[in-house]
Amino acid sequence: MRFVRTRKEGEMDRRSKPGLFARKPGSGFRISVVLIAILCAVSKLPATPQTTLRAPGKSYGVSTAPIKMEVYSDYQCPYCRAFYDQTLTQVIRYYVPSGKVYLVHHDFPMPMHKYSGEAARWANACAEVGQFEAAETALYDNQDAWGSDGDIAKYIAAAMPASDFKRVEAIMKQGAMPAPQAHFPSADPMTGIVHPCPVDPYIAQDIRLGYKISTPGTPAFVVTYKGHTFAPVYFAVSWPVLKQLFDTLLQQ
Amino acid sequence: MEQTSRQKTGKILLTIGRIVLAGIFLAAAFGKLKPLAGMPWTVASVKTSLAMFAMGVDSFQILPAWAVSPLAHFLPFFEIVLAIWLLSGFALRVSSLLSTLAICVFIYAMFSAWHRGLAINCGCFGQGGAPIGLWDLTRDAVLFLPLSLAIFIGSIFMRRSKRVESATPVAQHTTA
Repeated sequence: MRFVRTRKEGEMDRRSKPGLFARKPGSGFRISVVLIAILCAVSKLPATPQTTLRAPGKSYGVSTAPIKMEVYSDYQCPYCRAFYDQTLTQVIRYYVPSGKVYLVHHDFPMPMHKYSGEAARWANACAEVGQFEAAETALYDNQDAWGSDGDIAKYIAAAMPASDFKRVEAIMKQGAMPAPQAHFPSADPMTGIVHPCPVDPYIAQDIRLGYKISTPGTPAFVVTYKGHTFAPVYFAVSWPVLKQLFDTLLQQ
Repeated sequence: MEQTSRQKTGKILLTIGRIVLAGIFLAAAFGKLKPLAGMPWTVASVKTSLAMFAMGVDSFQILPAWAVSPLAHFLPFFEIVLAIWLLSGFALRVSSLLSTLAICVFIYAMFSAWHRGLAINCGCFGQGGAPIGLWDLTRDAVLFLPLSLAIFIGSIFMRRSKRVESATPVAQHTTA
């Protein structure tokens, strides 16, 4: 389509300016093709070169599953806890082991929650040592307790073997508060982080991804089925309704 | 039995109004049923759209979980039936009354979600889009509801004037 249009444009140019392509008939057309090829190549390049970080294992299931569900949540958000307790645990129990759903967690720590950034740090550090599931459960189960005093380490330590916790602690000790949080879409989540933790770039990347789907808050999720990505959902969905969607998709 | 110009104008306005209202209902039903994410038009993709719409209904947190899916599967087809009914002009008082009631329910659901601070999409014309705001409430309360009400009131007036017209020659005949 683009090819034909350019050719027509070239012919129109030739008609309007007879001297322009008089020497070599068809050279204008060739130049146009080369220019279009260059433009196409340039347009495929990203505006700002961005490298995708290899996020630690904050997922459940196999990436080859027909349904991929990416959840954006904040460990201190009560709606996220309810969504995790009532819906996501059912997904993890019934749809992940059978290879039907690949559940991916993304951090979106909100600034109104004082310890949400730090909790995300703990979860990512635990993911680095392969203890993400234990950390996520511990964080949600004890949300009220650490949400009031900020003592997250106590619950993380209780959720995993001491050797793993030592490795997690070693990662956490490299950083200091504040931790990255989702302040504004335009603000870099790493701004103001004086002593970053090695896992902070993962959190920052998740926050950027959250803003890419324009999430106004948490929880939010995106479902992809065999390459078809549906509109983001910005609220907690009850299990029967989500189950119905999964069953409908899997019946196709 | 000649129609007065006022009656003619009323009839034309009523026809335009019900075509517009039917169009709104058809657009709403289409938005809910159309395949998502570039999927082809198949029974399975429509079922997927309805399952996604069910999530939208669930987001309002008004209905119990068991009632969400039946309503989500009923509503788009109800809108199509209502649109066809409005276009047919048959028993216009009933169809326009049903439309008015349906719009009232939609406004109530949206206002309730907005009042509770739920950042959800209204799902009126399909999934996606901005969370419910004043625009959605204004659109339904200032445009759709008055339109539906006007058709309902207009249909009552039209029926009355028809009755009067049909009664007048009979009276003349009996007195003569």
